[in-house]
Amino acid sequence: MSEQPVGHGPVHIQLLMGPKLARPVPLEVAEALLSAQITTTAGERSGFQFAFDLTKNGLLSRRLLPEGFFDPKTRVIVTVSVRGTPEVLFDGLIVRQEVGASNLPGHSTLTVTGEDLTLLMDLEERTARYPNLPPSQRVLAILRRYSDYGIRPDVYQEKIAQPPHQDLRVHYQTGTDLQYVTELARANGYTFYLEPGPGPGHSAARWGPEVRIGLRQHALNVNMDALSTVDQLTFAYDGTAREEPQARWQDPGTRQSTLLPQPPVSPLRPPLGRRPTPALKRKTLSGTAKQQREQAEAELLARAAVSADVISGSGSLDVGRHGYLLQPRRLVGVRGAGRAYDGDYFVKSVTHNLRPGSFQQNFTLSREGLEARGDTVRP
Amino acid sequence: MAETEPYESALDSIPGAHPYPRTSRYHDAEIGVHRRADGSEVRYTKRRLLPPLDEETEPHTVGAGERPDLLGQRFLGDPGQWWRIADANPVLDPRELTDEPGRVIGIPLTGGFPRGERRV
Repeated sequence: MSEQPVGHGPVHIQLLMGPKLARPVPLEVAEALLSAQITTTAGERSGFQFAFDLTKNGLLSRRLLPEGFFDPKTRVIVTVSVRGTPEVLFDGLIVRQEVGASNLPGHSTLTVTGEDLTLLMDLEERTARYPNLPPSQRVLAILRRYSDYGIRPDVYQEKIAQPPHQDLRVHYQTGTDLQYVTELARANGYTFYLEPGPGPGHSAARWGPEVRIGLRQHALNVNMDALSTVDQLTFAYDGTAREEPQARWQDPGTRQSTLLPQPPVSPLRPPLGRRPTPALKRKTLSGTAKQQREQAEAELLARAAVSADVISGSGSLDVGRHGYLLQPRRLVGVRGAGRAYDGDYFVKSVTHNLRPGSFQQNFTLSREGLEARGDTVRP
Repeated sequence: MAETEPYESALDSIPGAHPYPRTSRYHDAEIGVHRRADGSEVRYTKRRLLPPLDEETEPHTVGAGERPDLLGQRFLGDPGQWWRIADANPVLDPRELTDEPGRVIGIPLTGGFPRGERRV
């Protein structure tokens, strides 16, 4: 690495800011960046926190801060390129700023905190009716309103078809768009999140099952001497995490109430472990009797799928040593953790910690049973 | 192992069905399906067109003994990324880049996104 010119290291960060249309920040802002922390979790909203050096007569405190460069609702896009491969890490809005003025020179900081673009969907409460639209069409209709922020819908059809009946029930939204979309996702066993990329200024709004098939990311190696890429990895196996939900449904014609059959969760979550964990707990869902049958079935499936993951792992890695960026909400292989815990995992959350000279990632993994299904993982 | 479910190995067995990794220049290339006379399907990567040449570059004077992979390691941190430099210049044979010492070539800025038709 000695022959690399300054500023051309394997990790290169670019910060874009601006109202709605983000532009690359002035050089002074980029140089004042002390640290950046970005958290992305499956099924939850992502957030960021940046710390800037606030010198007394610098551009930040003299002009940019009073002129509203760091005002709330300013859009922030962070791109990072690891070994020449660029990636959008985050696309969001500033929510809050804190200025810590210090007596010591060079210790005054500006801390900016924000959330991803789903914040836009959570600002305004709305009451709307969606007659004769199945859940995925309702989500599409809502997402159409946010296309000017570069949000592209990536909406999947629900697993259990719920044909709408205008005469029986008209679906009604109260609350914010985000609440309604998340509620619809949860009722179908899906997740809703925004995934930034592929280019800066674009993001995909995924309303669908978690990505548990397809190409695995580069494997995390632990306990492999010089080939280890992960500093440490801890696994926990919680036997009570899985529960078997039960739902009863009443036929409005005959008044007969029946126990719905247990659906297989594998279409929603393909198994990653060879030995699935039996459910110790049994839980009865409330309120399913008066729903339409398809809705009750979808909810039963959703609840069974949500609690399926019993094994969780957490650890941290150095991106410079690993060589690749670990992406959340995808699959990754683990090597060197022993026969029980090796194999493919779903990356539940990743926290990126960036500061000049270091890029660390803390991550959590999950899957539903011990032992790997296959003999190999992608290196 | 338990019996094979339809979702697993449906994609794994077909070459080219998976997207190329992010580091590859074929990551954005489209995967085509060719149907042979006997009805069987062959997947292939469609021709990749060079991205438009309006990106900013940094000039670099080629020295003796330089190779595209060395330039990739030096400027982008990975020898496998030489194709970004070849794309920015543009040359068909990467050896053309460093054939004659003294030639000035453009190095794309680190952190720049390819401008081509990028697909997810």
